[in-house]
Amino acid sequence: MALRTSAANTHKARRSLLWRLHIDAPLLLGLLALMAFSLLVVYSAGGESLALVERQVIRFGAGLVVMLLLAQVAPRTLKEWAPLFFAVGIGFLLAVLFFGESSKGAQRWIDVGVRFQPSEIMKLAVPIMVAAYLADKALPPSFTHLVISLALVIAPTVLIMIQPDLGTSLLIAASGFFVIFFAGLRWRYILGALGIGMILAPIMWYFTMEEYQKGRVLTFLNPESDPLGSGYHIIQSQIAIGSGGIYGKGWLNGTQSQLEFLPERHTDFIFAVLGEEFGLIGIIILLALYLFVIWRGLYISLQGQDSFSRLLGAALTLTFFVYLFVNIGMVSGLLPVVGLPLPLISYGGTSIVTLMASFGILMSIQTHRRLHSA
Amino acid sequence: MLKRREAIKDVGRETSMFFVRCVIALGIVIGLMIFLLVREFKLQVVDHKKYQTQSENNRIRVQPIAPVRGLIYDQTGQLLAQNRSIFALEIVPEQVDNMQDTVSRLREMFDITDEQVDKFLEQVKFRPKFNSYAIKTNLNEEEVAVFSANQHFFPGVSVEARLERYYPPGASLVHVLGRMGAITQEDLIRMDEKDLAENKEVGTTRQRYAATGKMGKLGLERNYEDRLHGEVGSEKVETDVRGRIVRVLERQEPQAGDDLHLYLHLGLQRKITELMQEKGVRGAVVAVEPSTGGVLAMVSQPAYDPNIFTGGISNKDYQKLLTPERPLYNRAVQGTYPPASTIKPHLAFLGLKEGVITPNTRIADPGWFSLPNNDHRYRDWKAWGHGATVDVMQAIVESCDTFFYDLSVRIGINRIYEGMTQFGFGQKTGIDIVEEKVGIMPSRTWKKSARGEPWYNGDTVNIGIGQGFWTVTPLQLANATAVLANDGIRFNLQLVKEFAQGNRFEANTPVMAYHQIDTGDGSWLDLVKDSMKKVTEPPRGTARSAFDDAEYIAAGKTGTAQVKSIAQDEEYDATKIAEKFHDNALFIGYAPFEQPKIALAVMMENAGGGGSNAAPLARQIMDYYLLEALQLNQRGEQANNEESNDGAAN
Repeated sequence: MALRTSAANTHKARRSLLWRLHIDAPLLLGLLALMAFSLLVVYSAGGESLALVERQVIRFGAGLVVMLLLAQVAPRTLKEWAPLFFAVGIGFLLAVLFFGESSKGAQRWIDVGVRFQPSEIMKLAVPIMVAAYLADKALPPSFTHLVISLALVIAPTVLIMIQPDLGTSLLIAASGFFVIFFAGLRWRYILGALGIGMILAPIMWYFTMEEYQKGRVLTFLNPESDPLGSGYHIIQSQIAIGSGGIYGKGWLNGTQSQLEFLPERHTDFIFAVLGEEFGLIGIIILLALYLFVIWRGLYISLQGQDSFSRLLGAALTLTFFVYLFVNIGMVSGLLPVVGLPLPLISYGGTSIVTLMASFGILMSIQTHRRLHSA
Repeated sequence: MLKRREAIKDVGRETSMFFVRCVIALGIVIGLMIFLLVREFKLQVVDHKKYQTQSENNRIRVQPIAPVRGLIYDQTGQLLAQNRSIFALEIVPEQVDNMQDTVSRLREMFDITDEQVDKFLEQVKFRPKFNSYAIKTNLNEEEVAVFSANQHFFPGVSVEARLERYYPPGASLVHVLGRMGAITQEDLIRMDEKDLAENKEVGTTRQRYAATGKMGKLGLERNYEDRLHGEVGSEKVETDVRGRIVRVLERQEPQAGDDLHLYLHLGLQRKITELMQEKGVRGAVVAVEPSTGGVLAMVSQPAYDPNIFTGGISNKDYQKLLTPERPLYNRAVQGTYPPASTIKPHLAFLGLKEGVITPNTRIADPGWFSLPNNDHRYRDWKAWGHGATVDVMQAIVESCDTFFYDLSVRIGINRIYEGMTQFGFGQKTGIDIVEEKVGIMPSRTWKKSARGEPWYNGDTVNIGIGQGFWTVTPLQLANATAVLANDGIRFNLQLVKEFAQGNRFEANTPVMAYHQIDTGDGSWLDLVKDSMKKVTEPPRGTARSAFDDAEYIAAGKTGTAQVKSIAQDEEYDATKIAEKFHDNALFIGYAPFEQPKIALAVMMENAGGGGSNAAPLARQIMDYYLLEALQLNQRGEQANNEESNDGAAN
């Protein structure tokens, strides 16, 4: 509560151009810092190729434009459009299932003038829909509302999982559950679900599944990871990170990252390049930047004018964290290989635009509140 | 109740609960970030030394060096398979100031397609600038010369050579040498299986092929892959941080593969190919050296030039090979055909050996044969028959079918199976080409398992003239001919005579050296051989006109194989039947009659009668080999032979 009043006092003085553009300056600064970091590492990881850096700059530019556009949309409008947005997204997912184009063994593209992945839409549509649904209900949600919101999360998750795309379905499930969590999901449900999961998972794994089935399940869930090569990738990325030490080998001096020992080094495994060249210090700086962005996101959410803004903002922020946690955990050998990029650092991916869109929503939450109250 | 409670929204309570949840969430985020940091601390501080060492080791790279593949020579020392440099125009991007300019100037000098340029620029854009990338491959010698003269205008551009297999004789030897192809996933799996089978560590063979892109896929290239390949070398290099090689620390030279020296005579192989091309026939000719079992020539027509496969064959070119004539098909080794009358000498030998006939056994030939209590007539090729007193010699010389219908029934299928197996029918000849087929030497058990039917006497009748279920490869036929020429010794046919590693030669010793057939006192075989000699002589030999005026004495046997079965009352008329149902023309033979130097089998698909089509080809082949290639003192040898033969005949 104290946060709220102090922020309210300062906002008037800063009703500048940025405010009229619906931009939250601290959040933008955090994002720009991450982008700058990204360009440095991509240049090094991509064999000092300016072409890669150029393309990354173009993607960031597109992301910033999308962010700016979404920042203009008031949360109220977003909430009104939520059911349609969600329905269209589900429609596209079904279309992909039946008419989609395959690429690398997964069916996740659709061609409607431009080729795009409907699962990217769902990354936003699911939390928006669940937040819109729960916003008007008495919170914490009753059992009926809980079941309905869970259905809203699980349906698209399953549709994406069978594409198959484990990474994205995991993110979408997380974004939906975070909304429910912030809506005040009772602790006994959370603990109960966790408990059942923890009991069931190992039982299934050790007693009912054969070794080859486990392998198949892993391959089925995540066909992108090369079953023969993933172990090698993890070993090489750990060597890269570990050999970086505290201070790192210096920019452009990472031996592992330059010698092609490291796979996917400008995309999913870029954290290893960063760890090698910038050391523990670099990692701490990166995590600090991420923490700043997350803190700012939660801060904006806390000040949200209505339940919808609060739930959505906080859920989007935590989803961002899931991205980075899964990626860093994977590259550091803590988690199995799941094809998720390091948010805002990895080269390429449509995910940059989607991520920036969610930050646009956060900025809208922040700035529209001001205009309203003013 | 429920509805009412729902309607009440306690904003204050919700806000404070949300605040608590946000704090918890932030706490979890910070907790997990610390968890990540602990992990990175472990990697970068606690275990730093370990990873530092592993990273240093990663900087020292061992790169394999491909061995030079062994060469293949014929018996006269002519090169059949060699390694030729293929040139590629390569560019190191970091050494080029203006890439656009360089590329456009290169395009003025050479024919470089847009596609090649795009592919090259794509590589340059995304891969390290210090490596070399090809912009044009397969430069001819003129292009290499042109570039060499202008090299100083093109800093950073060079011509790089890579060894590729080249077969100077081209198409005429493809069915002997086989060809090379890219190593596939299946090949790699086969390598691992081989390691397991030989109790080696899995991956040993892969290691040998670490720098090799292609391996033998067919023919000798495949069969002797192990020897031809050689041992991989290695180079331990230190690289700088960019991966650029700073210096070579150690170098272990690769060891070239063994050379192969063949029994094969390139001149003979070429001559046979030319003769067959002139006649425009499909088929196969196999010529062997009777005294060794060495293959002198093995021709399958049509054939194709294996060199078009070098550097990858285009789909269009490959489609051209899929014609109904089937040039990819190795007829000599894989083609199975009815042997027809060419096996009559062997059956005659067996009949004499088994005592079911004597040299004086005579039968009456009305022009057909029938089994007791059966009115089906097995017709002789000569409708009015060969006379009332046909003995075994006449039966061979004139190729009397009736005699052999009768003979085969007398011997019976069980003994025929046993006896013909001794000649290598239905067996692998042991040729050093793994693709070899065995054909069918029919027996009661074979028919039961293959057709699910019992053996009938009528089946045996057809066997008597080498028809029915019996099929042989041209290779088996040549081998069985060599057995006759060689007084009952059957060698394991081999293409490779010896291996050479530098100046060290090592003889090729096949698994089974030879097999001796029991020939008794030799008189049975002599009678058969004399009969075969008379086949090439007047007045009645079926190959007499083909061997008219030969400067040496040859022994032979013609064969005409029915491809389409003819009904009881039907007459074979080549003009009325589609070409693919025309008779196959066959001939087996050897020469000189004393001390044979060459034994051969000729198989011409749909060419008609053996005497008029296959025998003349055999004559030309023997003429070339004996008179031109070996340059035997014909007059002397012939005179001697004639004396002894006259004596025998009188």
